Amino acid sequence: MAVPVFTLQLNSKILPGRVTIGKYDGSHSCLTAATTADKERLSPVLIHSPHRRLGPTSQITGATTWSQVNKEISLLSVNRNVSALAAGRLHPELEQDILVVGTQSSVLAYNVESNKDLFYKEVADGANVIVVGNLSGYENPLALVGGNCSIQGFDYKGNDPYWTVSGDNVRSLALLDYDLDGENELIVGSDDFDLRVFKEDVMVGETSETEVATILAPLRGSKMAYALANGTVGVYNKLHRVWRVKSKNRAVAVLSYDIDGDGVEELVTGWSNGKIDARNSRTGEVVFKDNFNCSIAGLADGDYRLEGRSQLICCSVDGEVRGYDSSRLGTLIEGNVHQEAVRDLLQKKQALLMELKNYESNTRSSGFTGGQNLNAGIIPAKTSLQTTVSINMGTKSKGPHVELCLTTNNETIIRAVLVFAEGIFAGETHVVHPHDEELSSTLKVALFPPRDVPLDIHIKALVGLPRTEQFHVFELTRHLPRFAMYTLITTTAPLQQEQPQNFVSFFISERIQRVILWVNQNFLLSSELEAEASGSSLSLSFTALRDGSLLNISMHPAGRVVVATPNMTLAGDLVQSLASFLNLSNLQVTAEFPQELAHLEEWLEKVSNLQEVRIQLGADLAHRAGLVRNLIVRAEDARLLPDLKSMRDWHSQLKEVNDDLINSYNIRCSNHNELLDILKQINLLIQKAARLRVGQSKADVVNLSRTALQSNNLHSLIKIVRTGEA
Amino acid sequence: MDPVYHALSLYKKRCFEECVSTCTELLDKNPFDQAVWILKMKALTEQLYVDDLEAEEEGIAEAFMDNETIAESARPGTSLKNPGTSQGGSTQGYRPWTQTGRPVSGVVRPGTQTARPGTMEQALRTPRTSKTARPSTSQSARTIRLGTASMLSEPGGPFIQLSRINLGNYASKPALAKPLFLYILYHENNIRHALQLAVLATQACEFKDWWWKVQLGKCYYSLGLMRESEQQFRSALRQHQCVETFLRLGRVYIRLDQPLSALDVCRTGLEYFPKEVTLLTEIARIFEGLNNMMMSVKYYREIVTEDSTNVEAIACIGMHHFYTDQPEMALRFYRRLLQMGLYNAELFNNLGLCCFYAQQYDMTLSCFQHALSLAKDDDVADIWYNIGLIAIGVGDTRLAGQCLRLAISSDSAHAPAYNNLGVLELRKGRLNEARAFFQAAASLAPYLFEPYFNHSALSHKMGDLQASYIVIQKALEAYPNHIPSQELLRALEKHFTVI
Repeated sequence: MAVPVFTLQLNSKILPGRVTIGKYDGSHSCLTAATTADKERLSPVLIHSPHRRLGPTSQITGATTWSQVNKEISLLSVNRNVSALAAGRLHPELEQDILVVGTQSSVLAYNVESNKDLFYKEVADGANVIVVGNLSGYENPLALVGGNCSIQGFDYKGNDPYWTVSGDNVRSLALLDYDLDGENELIVGSDDFDLRVFKEDVMVGETSETEVATILAPLRGSKMAYALANGTVGVYNKLHRVWRVKSKNRAVAVLSYDIDGDGVEELVTGWSNGKIDARNSRTGEVVFKDNFNCSIAGLADGDYRLEGRSQLICCSVDGEVRGYDSSRLGTLIEGNVHQEAVRDLLQKKQALLMELKNYESNTRSSGFTGGQNLNAGIIPAKTSLQTTVSINMGTKSKGPHVELCLTTNNETIIRAVLVFAEGIFAGETHVVHPHDEELSSTLKVALFPPRDVPLDIHIKALVGLPRTEQFHVFELTRHLPRFAMYTLITTTAPLQQEQPQNFVSFFISERIQRVILWVNQNFLLSSELEAEASGSSLSLSFTALRDGSLLNISMHPAGRVVVATPNMTLAGDLVQSLASFLNLSNLQVTAEFPQELAHLEEWLEKVSNLQEVRIQLGADLAHRAGLVRNLIVRAEDARLLPDLKSMRDWHSQLKEVNDDLINSYNIRCSNHNELLDILKQINLLIQKAARLRVGQSKADVVNLSRTALQSNNLHSLIKIVRTGEA
Repeated sequence: MDPVYHALSLYKKRCFEECVSTCTELLDKNPFDQAVWILKMKALTEQLYVDDLEAEEEGIAEAFMDNETIAESARPGTSLKNPGTSQGGSTQGYRPWTQTGRPVSGVVRPGTQTARPGTMEQALRTPRTSKTARPSTSQSARTIRLGTASMLSEPGGPFIQLSRINLGNYASKPALAKPLFLYILYHENNIRHALQLAVLATQACEFKDWWWKVQLGKCYYSLGLMRESEQQFRSALRQHQCVETFLRLGRVYIRLDQPLSALDVCRTGLEYFPKEVTLLTEIARIFEGLNNMMMSVKYYREIVTEDSTNVEAIACIGMHHFYTDQPEMALRFYRRLLQMGLYNAELFNNLGLCCFYAQQYDMTLSCFQHALSLAKDDDVADIWYNIGLIAIGVGDTRLAGQCLRLAISSDSAHAPAYNNLGVLELRKGRLNEARAFFQAAASLAPYLFEPYFNHSALSHKMGDLQASYIVIQKALEAYPNHIPSQELLRALEKHFTVI
């Protein structure tokens, strides 16, 4: 526990995750948070400016506009549900922070100090998360807005020089000097559990997590903190995980702040149960913690007491704000360190004692009975555990799957198996615990990897003799290749003849042997493929275990590779995997996916229809709203004149108009959702098309598609998806 | 003469009614004559055209139910809502305030007179005379009141049945679409249909015609969709810079209560159109709204150098001089107005006041005589009140009393007159009457601090400390920087602590 250096109460409910801090006048920090909707307004944004009380500028001139109860708080009404908040120096010439407010359909950059908009932009993809800062390759600072499948970067004029697509809805963004070149790269966490690193608009890194990364926060250097939706918090250095911890609760906010004053920033996490803790960014060791009565809403660091250094400011959902800094922590830590050390040593002692006890009992039993050591759980010294990973085409009740088969080489049985693998099971761990009568020396575990990623499976098997009470634990790790869920069809002859409809083709200047090597590494094959004589072509067919669709990979001696699959994402994965295996820096691909492209045509038409209807609906809505206003004024007028009869008339009219209004609002809502869906699909298709290419060609696809979309040029868009060129 | 040519010449001579009837005859003969059809449409539109920029006024409903403004309590000097907060602006001490809570302006414009009271009830309760009546929504506002074609039933049914025509057909023909749009907007005042047409037309020309974007913006503006309208105006400005578009974009920001953004827009406009008078006027008005009189007058001066007959600018500069203790200078500006041919009661009233304070007593009374002879019912009370003021100034309290009573008789809600009468009664020693007058004044005009202060001072003198204490707080609410009120409050607080 730590003593806060200040506490205060904002007296309003704060929305979690929508808290930021900004120096709107250039020198004083103001905590800014989105609050829950009240009677009059939809989630107004609250700005708390402590310097208005403390500072010398607080003399009252004229009728003061600050709320009489609390002069430090001012409210901004946004009139929509605030989905993201950020503050930063967006304007390159102004020494002030600009507040950027994101809602489900718009982004507003607002100069709080002079009550001015920098820009207001409609964003069809919504704004799930916003960061403000410099990005490599761009002169001016950008407000990067992550929406549904797309990321847009706005400069202070409201232009959007940056645009790219991501695999799924963007949940978190961070600006970080990833490759230590002095300029920031963009890290994106999205709904498909991936973390992607963009340098300008080229993706330079990608890694998969087990859940959606809800928060990303830059630490010092190339380190980055992340929090997942399942309660994991950890630190990455580049794309290598340094450490992570998991909790039952969900992390709401993550921030780097030097709480113990040692010059190295700690990772501060605010949890949904109101706990707040700071961990050493290298080891994950807790150095500080405190508890709030309810969930944390956000963390910020800023100079809140005008003392020249920043404090850690924690804000809870019910508006309680506490500030911490290193000054009060020093003595507390001292005590903690001693206690921790004693506890650690006690634990170690306990473990050692246990171990000793075990050894003693073992030696005693072996001394007594020699060979008949049934109760004592000693197994023959030569016992070994064999694991095989193979593909099982499954039965009716159980679909085709990857089968992990564990066998012991003697009469010992496998009591239970713990399989730990990221992203396969809910909760990451799977325990197989057969009934007593089914115990045998073989155990089969079915795996259904949901996505095509290479996996390390950690297995812990409890092995012992039958009817024993103590078991030996065998720990081993198996590697699951990336495309495990595809099985090779050996009887290929008749299948080859059909001309596939959906395929990608490209040229690589590599030998077939290298490709075969890649296939051996990335597919789960019963036996390794051998390279045939040079000059002959390679042709392989696979069946996807998930949906039974066909996958053909063929390569001509001249270097033309054709990957035929109806699944565009799979094609993209294969291309990416092959390209990274062969170290290709650029690859242009011809793609034929007539079905997907047919969709595209349909979608674009729908979008233009929907947008047309949308304008009309909007006008309709506004018109009705005008009527409602008029009627309210009239009804009120009648009330003041005590003319009850006409008042009733006005009110009954009002009710009718209001019902109409609600109806048309619902229509507009569904229209909007439909539009969102389609836009998301289009973004996804562009992303898939980009994944079919590598390097510069990949970035080109995104940029060209965007130009085509803006000019609504369907033919150009289709051509880009097919050939990668406009 | 060719009847079409005749109709055209009638239109050019602005004889719209004759033009319309000629066109109707022509259309009876040949209903498919597009040229005549357009001419009739244009004539009908012109008949009812209202300068919607000048005549714009925020309705009661917008003022209370629209919350487009972002900052609810913006920093002083950045919002039009709380003009009293600007630094260095004029105060009530030497420039009286109107009901709106801002200093009186040089000229009366829509919006300078109507109040921004705290609640709708207050707004509705304010006496609805011809001076204070205010539209309930801006959609139903002056556009309808001034041009009431949409409410007149035309013989033989309306000229164009809006619900029957196929807007899509017309949208692709720019020559037809533009007059039709203006007709729908100004004559029929049907914003929804106008918007529909504008949307189709702007699509038909592939978003390349800035004119349609401005019209779209206009439609959105009157529907209250400020953000959409902002986008349209901005996009139009990128294609073509036009004074009207700058002004309209500025108005959008004023509605959003971002005066500084509006000023930026107008200044950008001035870069394209240096010294443009309408833009300069807009800037001057915004500064006036922000209670930044120095800047406002600076821009008004610039206007006068460009357009030496601009009544608004001259009047505002004159007013500024008058309230900054330079009545001689003010006199010169008002005389300039007189020279320009302006001949009304308000001007003579102001001239009279200037003459009085410039110590040209011989002219004072003759000016007021002129004013009274020209005065209409609306402003006769003000003129009597001012004569009363002069009578007090020369020490003729009997005349003063009579004048003020005359002022009240012609406008029973003239609060300053009640206040001055109270002061006169006080001097005569009739304290209870005086107090009644102060109370009446305060209840009529809670935005004035004088009645409160007078009332409080009187109560203090009479020993009713409690009442004095309550009332002085109200005075300070109306005018927080009033030193005598603050002193009185301090004295009262001291009393109470001693007790």
